[in-house]
Formats: sequence, C-alpha cells, structure tokens
Amino acid sequence: MDYLSLAWKNLWRNRRRTLITLLAISLALMLTQTLHNLAMGSYTQMIENGVRSGSGHFTVYHHGYRQDHDEKLAFSSGSLIATLTDTAPIECVLPRIHLGGLAQSSHDSRAVAIMGIDMAAEAAVNPVLKNLPAEQWLRKEQPRDALLGRRLLDELKIHIGQKLVLTVQNRNGDLVSELLRVRGIIDSRIKQIDSSLVMIGLNKAAMITERQGQIHELALVLNNTEAMPQLLNTISPLFNDNSELELVPWQVAMPNLADAIRLDYASQNVMLLIIMLIITIGIVNTLLMSVMERIHEFGIMLATGMSPFKLWQLVVCEAAMLGTTAALFGSVLGSLTTWYLVEVGIDLRDFISENMEFGGVVFDPILRATWSSAWMLESALYIVLLSIVAALYPAFKAARLAPVDAMRHN
Amino acid sequence: MPLIELNQVSKIYTSGNQQIAAIDHVDLQIDAGEFCVLAGPSGSGKTTLLNLIGCLDEASSGTIILDNLEVSRRTVRQLADFRLHNIGFIFQSYNLIPVLTAEENASFPLLLQKVAKPERIQRVGELLHALGLQGLEKRRPRDLSGGQQQRVAVARAMATNPAVILADEPTANLDSKNSSDLLQMMRTLNRNKGTTFVFSSHDPMVIAMADRVIQLHDGRLVSDSHQDSVA
Repeated sequence: MDYLSLAWKNLWRNRRRTLITLLAISLALMLTQTLHNLAMGSYTQMIENGVRSGSGHFTVYHHGYRQDHDEKLAFSSGSLIATLTDTAPIECVLPRIHLGGLAQSSHDSRAVAIMGIDMAAEAAVNPVLKNLPAEQWLRKEQPRDALLGRRLLDELKIHIGQKLVLTVQNRNGDLVSELLRVRGIIDSRIKQIDSSLVMIGLNKAAMITERQGQIHELALVLNNTEAMPQLLNTISPLFNDNSELELVPWQVAMPNLADAIRLDYASQNVMLLIIMLIITIGIVNTLLMSVMERIHEFGIMLATGMSPFKLWQLVVCEAAMLGTTAALFGSVLGSLTTWYLVEVGIDLRDFISENMEFGGVVFDPILRATWSSAWMLESALYIVLLSIVAALYPAFKAARLAPVDAMRHN
Repeated sequence: MPLIELNQVSKIYTSGNQQIAAIDHVDLQIDAGEFCVLAGPSGSGKTTLLNLIGCLDEASSGTIILDNLEVSRRTVRQLADFRLHNIGFIFQSYNLIPVLTAEENASFPLLLQKVAKPERIQRVGELLHALGLQGLEKRRPRDLSGGQQQRVAVARAMATNPAVILADEPTANLDSKNSSDLLQMMRTLNRNKGTTFVFSSHDPMVIAMADRVIQLHDGRLVSDSHQDSVA
C-alpha cells in the first residue's frame, strides 16, 4: 500500500457515488469533445464551401476594389497566375470578373450580379456548380452561353436554351448590351445567388467591358486550409513590391462568414463553459461529501502522525485520480462519437428542406465532425486540472482539521 | 529526566459565558518504561489529559515537556512528526481505516515514515503474528471481531517502536476475555521492549494491571500512587 493506492481505495469507498460522478464527468467531457469536433467539422465544411465558391483561401484584388467594388479597379492576371502556380502548391487559381448589370428577357428584367469565370477551373472546385451537369457547362466555342440562378430564371420567365440580354457598363462608362442564351441553371440553394447571379465566360465578360486580359479577383484555392500560414509566407513577398495589388485571406475577403463562425464559436464556448461549471460543481460536491464523511478518519490519520500537508495531498490525489479516470473514459466515449460523426455524420435532410445557408455560404445538410486531437487532449487535461482545482477547498478543509476535534466528529 | 513532564497544565473550555476547566493545574511526571493508568470517573479529564500528552490538543496554560522538548514551541508539522516517531495511540473504538486491510492499517505509520514496502510487510507481519493475528492480515476491519480490531490497533501503535503508547479506554468495547488478553499483550510489550504505556480507564482490570495509578477528579490530580500490579 502507498499513498496512490490509499487514494484509489478512498475514491471507491462509496462506489455508487464515485461511479455516478465519474459517469457525469465522462459524459460531460464526451459532450464537449463531440460538440467541439462537430462544430469544427461544420466550420471546416463552411470554410471549404465558402472559399471554393467565394474568395478562395487567399484572394488577389486591386487595392481599393474590396471597399468600393469599382469595376475600373481591374488588373492583369496573366503573368501573376503563372508566378503563383510556380511558387506555391496551390490546388487551383480562379480568375473572375465581377460586373453589375441588367438582365432582360422578353417577359421581364432584373438587376443581376454578373460573374465572368473560367468554366473548367471553376467547375472543379466551386460547390455552387457542383449540381450542374456537364452538358450545361459554358462552352468555349459558344461564348454567348450563360448560367442563371434558378430563381432568376423563374423571375425572367425563361428556360434553358432561351435568350436574354445583359446590359452593363464598359470601361468607358458606356452602356453595352449583349445577347446571350441560357445554357444551364445554378441551384446553390442560397437565395441571393439563385435570384441574382449570372455566370458567363471570362473572355466574354472581358470582351463586353473591353477589359481583355484583366480581372477583378483572383481566388487561390489550397488543398488544405491548414497550409494557409505556410503559403502566406511563400507568396506574400510577391505582393510587397506590387503596390497595385493586395493579397487577402478569406477571413478578410468574406467577413460575413468569418464573423458568423466567430459568433457561433463564441456561443459554443459559452455552452462549454456552462458544462464545465456543472462538472466543477459535481466534483466539488463529491469531494466535499467524501471529506465531510471522513473527518473522524482524518483525525485518526493526523493523530497517527500524518502531516496536514500530506493529508491535503491525499485529498487532491483522490481528485486527480477521479479526474484522470473520467478524462480517459470520457475521451474514449468522445472518440467513439467523433468517429461516428466523421464517418456517418448527422443527416439533417429530413428536417431542413432548403436554403441551408450560414454566413452567406451553402451549408451541407449532412453535418460531419473533424478530428481535433489536440483539443481533445487539451479538454481531457482540463478535466484533470479542474478536478484538482475543485479539490483544493475540500483538501484545505481536511488539512485544517485539529486532530482532537476531528476525532470527536461522528 | 522524565519522559513526560507536565507543569501546572490547565485546559479550559469556553461554553457561552462559562469557562470549564477540563484539566486544572496538573503537575505530572512519567518516566520511560512505566505502565500507568489515568483513572477516574467519566468527565474527570482522563481523555483530555491523554490528548494533551499526545500533542493532539493544546494546553490553555502550563508547560508540557516531552522527550526534553516543550510542546508549545513546536509547529503543527513538527508535532505531527513528533507523534509519528515517538507516540503510538490506541483508541476506545479501534479507529482503523475501513478501506485498508489489517496489514495495511498496522503499517500505516510506517508508510508515513517512508519505510520501504518489504520492510513494512516484514515488521508488521512479525507484530501481527505476535498479537495472534496471523492469517488475518488481508482482512478488512469489518471482517474482524472487536478484539481482533483492537489488536490491529495495538499493532499500528507498536509498529514504529514508539517511546510511549497512549491508550484511551482500550478495553471499553471488549469483553473480559479479550480485555484480559489485550492487557497481557501490552504488559508483555512493556516488559520486553520497555515501551511506556499510559492508559486512561476506569476499568478495574486495567487499574489492577498498572504499576502506577494516577487518579483524576474534575480535572484535578487527586492521587498518584505506585502499586504492585496483578500481572
């Protein structure tokens, strides 16, 4: 027998109470780990969808464009794309032209957001186009092809194959119109996109506005979001000497999404804090009860020659053991639920019909978790630490006992 | 030099406006190797005096000198250390730790003294054997009779070879056979090892066994006499 085995035996002297506390802490830890991993999975999914349909992990703009969306602030992309793809491991670069304009059919007209895209590159990564069949893609040989949002199509009362006229301003400020034909339907389930977006070929957009070779946005998509800091170090020097262009990360380019995630994470943390508080109360309650019912016994130990500090250590050791056991068991449970949520996920399709949108980004109706091992380890250690902190007062109370008073206690 | 020396020791308890002297100006000296009993009716101050001698309680006034050192000058930690190395306690209600086996209970002070496990097992094994507890080493207190539990308590008190063993009504919860056996065992230890025993008791069997009887009444020492013990 040593102190550890004495502490372990003490912990199990009231088996039922210890088991209930252990289970409560373990389940709470499992819940926090699972919720966190699920949230991280959702955020990752949203960021991936967001960066692929929106700004990319990094975006190159002309200085001032982000603030004013002034169509005149375009830049030449030819050599830049080559330099970037040579310098850094980028999955793909998405050159885009953004225009405001008017779409007219023979029935109606609507203000629209026009996006000139590189169809092949965009279709490979942009989730907005993931439901678009290949036969509806924009064709190089048919520059009058256009993709329209489903709602917009309905509002203009036209169908695939029918014509529409786009009117925009060219680089001189003159209004120019172009006859186009609907090639495909964009069905992003984001109201704003589906009711106002028109996608046309990059070259066609440049030609209409007389900005050949120029773009408004160059989105850089990476294989892995975690590679962002490393990539930033690699490519940021390219922009130091080029005062005309700026390189911004997705958080800056898509502040709505970044803010929505930040807000959601903050509310998640408040919930975790509440769970942790409940755990703390549970541990303090268990340990305090355990100390109070052993006051007489502590008196005997002190009388036998145990120092108050040693007694304090014994109670803290019991708490550390309780916390460690709960952390291990809770982490096993948390790993099992995380594994299920990574592999299978939670299918919300039966509960939510459409418009799965968060921070302006399409939200996958199947929620999946991601492994956040560092955080899981951190939360398990936090439980151990919390148990020790929760034991400080009961341990202090035990250590302050006078042997003669404690022995009188029944 | 006496092993235990009390000079004008008082212990006053305050209850509301009333002050009650549990021990009232007691002078006492106990030499090493004595086998003595603090006798007196309930409430006479026997347990309080034993607690003061055992450094479990502080005197309100007077000085207590143990092993040439004044108790009041020691810190809580030093007192705990002093108890660990010099004093063994035997209590009326055995006071064993319920989650530990007989062997673990008896070796608890040795654990506190950081004695290595093999040595602890060997020393306690010999003691338990001497006290007739062989074969019961792995039993928990709830699986032992009252007499067996009290013998484990004696083993715990003896484990560190203390200079003095303080026993508070050790036979109060035992039948006459177990009481007699226990007293005989302690008497043997006293004679063989020279361990000082101080009992508090009003049991005639204990009083008859002692070499010296110190009578207390209302916290005062009323008589102190040596006698020929029956053992």
